[in-house]
Amino acid sequence: MKIVVCIKQVPATNEAKIDPETKRIIREGVKAILNPFDTYALEEGIQLREKFGGEVIALSMGPPKAEQILREALALGVNRAILLSDRNFAGSDTWATSYVLAQAIKRIGQVDLVICGKQAIDGDTAQVGPGIAAHLGWEQATYVMAVEELSSSCIRVKRMHEDGYDICKISLPALITVVKDVNIPRVPTLKGWLFSLKQDIPVWKPEDIKAVKTKIGLNGSPTMVVKIEPPPPRQTRTKRIEGTARECALSLLRELRSRNII
Amino acid sequence: MIHHILNKNYLVEVLPPKQDSENLEADLKKFCTRYRKVIDSGYCVCITDNTMGNLSFQGTEIIEEFQLSVLPKQVMIHLNTFHRKDDLDNILTTCHQKEIEYILVITGDGSPRLPKLRPEDVNFTNIDSITSVELLSYIHREYPGSFCLGVAFNPYEPEEHELEKMARKIKAGAKFIITQPIIGRNKVLDKLINRYPQIPVIVEAWMSKNINLLSQAVGYEIGLKEEYDPIANLKLLHKLYPGCGFYLSLLGFKTQYDLLKDTWI
Repeated sequence: MKIVVCIKQVPATNEAKIDPETKRIIREGVKAILNPFDTYALEEGIQLREKFGGEVIALSMGPPKAEQILREALALGVNRAILLSDRNFAGSDTWATSYVLAQAIKRIGQVDLVICGKQAIDGDTAQVGPGIAAHLGWEQATYVMAVEELSSSCIRVKRMHEDGYDICKISLPALITVVKDVNIPRVPTLKGWLFSLKQDIPVWKPEDIKAVKTKIGLNGSPTMVVKIEPPPPRQTRTKRIEGTARECALSLLRELRSRNII
Repeated sequence: MIHHILNKNYLVEVLPPKQDSENLEADLKKFCTRYRKVIDSGYCVCITDNTMGNLSFQGTEIIEEFQLSVLPKQVMIHLNTFHRKDDLDNILTTCHQKEIEYILVITGDGSPRLPKLRPEDVNFTNIDSITSVELLSYIHREYPGSFCLGVAFNPYEPEEHELEKMARKIKAGAKFIITQPIIGRNKVLDKLINRYPQIPVIVEAWMSKNINLLSQAVGYEIGLKEEYDPIANLKLLHKLYPGCGFYLSLLGFKTQYDLLKDTWI
């Protein structure tokens, strides 16, 4: 079983700032982390390999510093990692990004399953996973909360809905996007980190994946961002209640009643 | 823990490197140097567990990787409730194999990367969330007689609530208590000592001059009229609490360490 897990480096903050000119997220000076939803995708890939054997490859498109999250993936236990990084990839929207990732998956070859997190916490679109499947012409299942069965020809998964779940069986090769309920991600070990620091991470350019220049970067991005702005900050206040447990409970009760919460 | 009090041995906190360290090798080297220094002084080295929810390396894995010596009564690890079950068991098994006797069991702080133990992980069915009390019970049940388990005491929490929690911790098998950082006389701490005269109490001394950081750590605004002098506070605590042990957090290894030998007389 050859599994590719697509991961993304995102700003480590919920207070992302937006450049008013370019309408893009300002990433300079903000700590970058592995997209939290992608930790579930990595864990699922590693667990499937532990169960069925094979290889897990972490794949990411981003600036050179995105190498850090690929090292983290290696520390967690993936077999190898590949970075897609080039000036011509910059400015790609979700469609162009999914095209680049799909081209890289073709280049890897003989891939049975692609796993993505349900969405990235910066863009929040949840479009890249399905976009990759569309570019590859593969079957897909989104919002997967459990992998129930995997064979050499198909995968059966449980998909989460707002009002329940459904179970679907799709043919391999396929792509799935996973939600938090799918597993509990492991954290990297010291041994894993020390191993990962010694590994080479190849950097692929457009020509390595036979990407058509008009389909990548700003040129290949049909999305037009007209306006983007952060939501107004939340108005929160903390009130400390002092006294004995009984007094505190009574004060809290009065407070909640005065606000019509109870 | 009474051993440390009778022999005037400090418990010295050493923070393991964070996982997002930009210079991991240097940070690991610094950790190992500090660890060895504390051991060589005859003190007890205390290794934290993902403080304030920051993902860091476990003390047990650094001890294993760098083959750091574990001398009797000289190593303590903190253990909180934010672990996967298999990771928790790995830590406890390593402690047992390495003969790490002391474990400070705390509820701890979580973060998106730190999963909380689920009640079913530690065989509890009638509760919603795991605290240090359930973790204590689990360790006692699964590793009977292997460890000397301690718990934390926070005098900045509402007193009645904190003392009630302490009663449950003692009932669950806590054998020593380590306080949150204390500055000067603390009436809630006095009550604790009077209530449990048979349990060794270790007073935490805040060794950084940064009081704002302490306020953040305990979640309570600690306003001081004068500039905070950590060494003067430590000396004062020795006078006020002569029957207690002392846990030093954020100790300056370059500037303060050598002063310690003349402090606990």
